[in-house]
Amino acid sequence: MSTTHLHLLLNHVPTVGFVMAIGLSIVAIIARSDLLKQVSLVAFVGIALVAIPTYVTGNAAAQKLCAAEPDEPCADPAISRPLIERHEGAAVLFLAVMLVTSGFAWIGLWQHRRMKQFPAWNLAIIAVLCVLSLGLAARAAAIGGEIRHPEIRAGEAPLAAEPTLARSIARYINNTPWTWISSETLHFVGLSLLVGIVLLIDLRALGVLRAVPFTALERLLPWAALGFAVNIVTGMLFFVARPDFYTENPAFYWKLLFVLLASANTLYFFFDEGWTTSPGSDVRLVTKVIAASALVLWVGVMYWGSMLPFIGNSF
Amino acid sequence: MAFLEWLQQQPYSVWMNESSSLWAFPMFLFMHTLGMSVVAGGSAAIDFAVLGLWPRGALKSLNNVFPVLMAGFALNAFTGVSIFMKDAATYGINIDLYVKLLFVLAGMALLVVIRRRVFDNPEIDTIPVSSGAKALAWASLACWTGAIVAGRLIAYVGPVPGL
Repeated sequence: MSTTHLHLLLNHVPTVGFVMAIGLSIVAIIARSDLLKQVSLVAFVGIALVAIPTYVTGNAAAQKLCAAEPDEPCADPAISRPLIERHEGAAVLFLAVMLVTSGFAWIGLWQHRRMKQFPAWNLAIIAVLCVLSLGLAARAAAIGGEIRHPEIRAGEAPLAAEPTLARSIARYINNTPWTWISSETLHFVGLSLLVGIVLLIDLRALGVLRAVPFTALERLLPWAALGFAVNIVTGMLFFVARPDFYTENPAFYWKLLFVLLASANTLYFFFDEGWTTSPGSDVRLVTKVIAASALVLWVGVMYWGSMLPFIGNSF
Repeated sequence: MAFLEWLQQQPYSVWMNESSSLWAFPMFLFMHTLGMSVVAGGSAAIDFAVLGLWPRGALKSLNNVFPVLMAGFALNAFTGVSIFMKDAATYGINIDLYVKLLFVLAGMALLVVIRRRVFDNPEIDTIPVSSGAKALAWASLACWTGAIVAGRLIAYVGPVPGL
């Protein structure tokens, strides 16, 4: 399976999958079910995470499809580079708003576990962001569909090149060196924040810090989430600025896979009954396995990140 | 300078510099990142706890984390010296490296002081955290942030050996 296949497969998640998740959240509100609301919020976070490889494989597919140097027309005259770049620009805007949506969804999940209810203000923000994200996903999908379906645009004049959002961001980052350097620095601060707190939680679960109450760790979770958010944003900035560093880089795809697996592990662990364990008591074996695998996965993310220039062609 | 040149010509340094194996420089760089996340991230978590993001009466439970952070520091001292040896003559005259080392040493000193003054205090979980201890935690956060910033900038400021 090529990255193009993967893009065509994954792009159903932020579109069809998103519609289903929104449908589920409407059912949750009508049924006044906190459980279904939780499931919907988890789905929003998951969709945002899957939107990242969707975006990434889109760039890889574009490079294969266009088969020309940047700023030059595509090798096949039937393929329009301006259209591809508009799709990319629409996709980066959707991805940004979807990531913000997932951030509020995560805050909602965290608040629910501490207060046993969802604050109305957060659900209202998520609802507005969902409508906005869905609109942006539909726009990106519609433009994307036109790339390989010229019959949709039949009779219309060929699109002229215009500065799209993604290419404008890329140009800005590539022309102002400090943005790359400061993003790198923030990426390291973010990873320390995330891994430092994950380490405490996993050491607690594994018994090294058995006396630590899980309720204490709960209060540190937003800082780990902040570290993760900083790294998603800075990581995507690198990718948007220099997709050619990553689309053919095996270490990058491994890193992405490990990020997704580690995130899935974290989302699952969020609901593990281990969190109700009293200080000094041991958690069950399953929880220990999840905690140990979380450490392995996050260390794996760092490993593949470090290998980007050595196994692949970054920098 | 002669010492730095000599250091760079040691077989270990030459191996680190010239080997194309992933087990040479790439692995050391990764281990250095791993150690950084443990020391800087773990210290930050302790600082957050001291600063009040932790339930009252539960600080003592964090005591066992200090050996883990020390292990992270040991890993980074080892990998850091190894990476330094690879290009000792170039790194050795990079001012930013010394700025980073100052931040790291200050951060480690603060970690030890916070452990002694706050965590080794038998009354830790019965009395409120003093404002002095909180000031130490803020200083620690500043030092680790400074260490990461200065560390990242080594690749961009002053003489650089390249990747």
